[in-house]
Amino acid sequence: MGRAAYIRRRFVLMAFVLFGVTIVIFGMVRILPGDPAFLILGDRATDQKAAELREQLGLNRPILEQYWNFVSGFAHGDMGQSLLYRQPVGNLVLTRVPISLALAGYAMGLAAVITLTFGIIAAINKGRWPDQLIRIGFLFALTTPNFWFGILLILLFGLTLHWFPVAGFGETLPQHIWYLFLPALTLALQLSAVLIRNLRGQIILTLRSDYVRTAHAKGLSERLVLMRHVLRNALLSTVTIFGLQFGFLVGGAIVIETVFALPGTGQLLIQSITARDYPVVQAITVVSAVLVIVVNLVVDLSYSFLDPRVTYE
Amino acid sequence: MFARKTGWPVLWVVIAALLVSACTQTPTGTGSSPTQAANPSPASKVLRMARNAEPFSPFVPWQIDDNPALFISVNVYDTLLRTTKDGTGVEPGLATKWTPSADGLTWTFTLRDGLKFSDGSAMTSSDVKASLDMARGGDKSGWKDSYVAIKDITATDPKTVTITLKQPYAPLLSVLAMFSSAILPADMAKATDTKDYDNSLAWKTKGTGAYYSEGWKKGDPIILKRNPNYWKGTPALDEVRIEYIPDDNTRVLKLQGGETDVVDFVPFSQIAALNTQQSLKAQTFPIQQSEFIILNTSKPPLNDVKVRQALNYATDKDAIIKNVHFGQATFMNSPIPQGTYWDKSLAGYPYDIEKAKALMAQSSGSKGFTMDMQVRAGRTDFANIAVIVKEAWAKLGVTVNIQTLDTAVVRTNYRAGDYMSTPSAWTNDMNDPTEIVNYAMRGGASPFAYWTRYNNPDLNSKIDKADLEQDTTKRQAAYSEIQKIYLDAAPLVFIAYLGASAGWRSNVDGFFIDGLSYYRFENVKINK
Repeated sequence: MGRAAYIRRRFVLMAFVLFGVTIVIFGMVRILPGDPAFLILGDRATDQKAAELREQLGLNRPILEQYWNFVSGFAHGDMGQSLLYRQPVGNLVLTRVPISLALAGYAMGLAAVITLTFGIIAAINKGRWPDQLIRIGFLFALTTPNFWFGILLILLFGLTLHWFPVAGFGETLPQHIWYLFLPALTLALQLSAVLIRNLRGQIILTLRSDYVRTAHAKGLSERLVLMRHVLRNALLSTVTIFGLQFGFLVGGAIVIETVFALPGTGQLLIQSITARDYPVVQAITVVSAVLVIVVNLVVDLSYSFLDPRVTYE
Repeated sequence: MFARKTGWPVLWVVIAALLVSACTQTPTGTGSSPTQAANPSPASKVLRMARNAEPFSPFVPWQIDDNPALFISVNVYDTLLRTTKDGTGVEPGLATKWTPSADGLTWTFTLRDGLKFSDGSAMTSSDVKASLDMARGGDKSGWKDSYVAIKDITATDPKTVTITLKQPYAPLLSVLAMFSSAILPADMAKATDTKDYDNSLAWKTKGTGAYYSEGWKKGDPIILKRNPNYWKGTPALDEVRIEYIPDDNTRVLKLQGGETDVVDFVPFSQIAALNTQQSLKAQTFPIQQSEFIILNTSKPPLNDVKVRQALNYATDKDAIIKNVHFGQATFMNSPIPQGTYWDKSLAGYPYDIEKAKALMAQSSGSKGFTMDMQVRAGRTDFANIAVIVKEAWAKLGVTVNIQTLDTAVVRTNYRAGDYMSTPSAWTNDMNDPTEIVNYAMRGGASPFAYWTRYNNPDLNSKIDKADLEQDTTKRQAAYSEIQKIYLDAAPLVFIAYLGASAGWRSNVDGFFIDGLSYYRFENVKINK
């Protein structure tokens, strides 16, 4: 089977996964106790007013009908109305997706650079102090809660050194890149912590293999051996983890967006869960799921570039 | 050589995605507007503020049900009368003069000369009538309860408005000074109440306040521009930019980093530290806010007044003020906040564990009992109070089960009566006790005396009478009696009066939170 057929099949599978996601998220938000009508109307509302609002919002329709409206609306690009903000969910969510996507992409870019740099340094210095330092340092990054880690970075780079702004998103493109650096770094350091351990191990393993010895025997420089023969083989499993971690990144971004006051989907999601704004929670979840699936597909496709022996079936 | 390059396309795709997505964000309304460019001021004065929450109500004064929207509203929409700075009286606003008829049923208001909306069009009595009619009768108004005494509003002539009442109503002037009584252009006031009104249009404001907004989209900063037609004279600031920074620590860090000029909701624990920095100032302002624990008086043994009084005496308010509020609060001696007709002579329930034990011994709870305390998730102050009282009440043989629940769940439980106790707070929206006594102390109907489910018919009728009383001395006496009755009945565990905190850079002059916790930017300046 060729690559095109593989992609087609993955898209069909994606439809099934998304179907599952819609059922899970639809069910979960409705299992949560708490009535959105009272949250919207406040304590002053009478029971009758609340009943009217529920009617108007369609919250008292049969559950299957509500689910059908949600799914069929989504399929037609209509994500419904936000219960809290009384405006189309599409407007609320879609303008924020680029911000979250930029944050995730930025974090992945930084993570790639950090992982390659420190993974290689640690591996070629195996057991010596640079290796130990990197391993201990990133262990800290991995085990520290990211909201706290974010504040530490703000204190150091924002308040003390004044290299980066404390929080916010900026207004122009260079400002966006500048403002997003610290939140992206917070996510990237945690992501790298996982990846570096893996890459280091893989490089050390690969360094022991026969073809590396052959390459050395051919008289290739250390650098060329590492870059052309070792790294490319060692990267394969790291890239897999990299792709899988995108889901983690989307989750971590929810908290980080609040700490750094970024108007992305994560911040909106937290508000919407507290307010029981079902349509918004559903829309963000489904959009995030699509992103995670697409990124994983891209990662799977990248194997064949890294290793031509990989075929898709 | 294909192999070597493979890493790079991925990185470039990431960077390209970042650039493209960032580009699509740039034009969203934050750039300088043409009007601003055409009108270059020698030194543009922009005040940057970071707030803890974003508005969510429709931005129409009488449809507002959240503080973030309300705080913006008072800067954009003015009212006939205004609450005084200390929050206990009224002063002229859009109206300069008001006179009641002898029977107190007809009130005549004279409007200020030359009033204009921010777009330059004249404001007349027909705008007043249209707006107040929407506030008291509009389908979407959330504050109709405050206006039930009004029978009719007429625009007698362009500068005169006459309000007739069904019965004498002492709080009328305070109601007209409330944010929900703000004046919009008549056509806009009517349009906002139509079924298909697009709420995003309401952010393109036309008011008589110090500032106006050209529009706002959720997620963007709110930009207020100074109103050149403001009746009190043009404000010193060209523009106020209000950003949304939900995290308390981040907001304060942003102030420290010089990225913003004013922040609200500074954690009480950080006020002292901020004041040690030369370039910053932080403080709490007294506002009419109280903090207490709601007791469900319909659930035994909390239906026994002795049990409730015992719990009150067993609560060490000073310990809570010191440890939870870092000294930025005062002892709550009465059921109502420190505003108009607050009775400062009441003793409240000072901490007295012996008295508490004695009362509990005589009560139906003498054998000890278990009760739940529902704490809203995310409210660390409430959580800390719960922990302190759990320990204190254990000395009375009361076992408190602390449950942390989402606000949505706590509210649903209120309705169902499914709770024993829950820490809560109250802030006056108007400078008259009529709101709190009718809403939070009167029983019988939702919200059941603020969910205490306390219902005392004698007290209810005293509350009705106090609203009708025109004589201020008699009214004062009536409210003192109401406070005393409610205090003795103890449907709440009375804890503390809280202030509203804010922090700002030292070059900001005139930032002030008034007694109803509003802040206006009309007198704020930025010094060099």
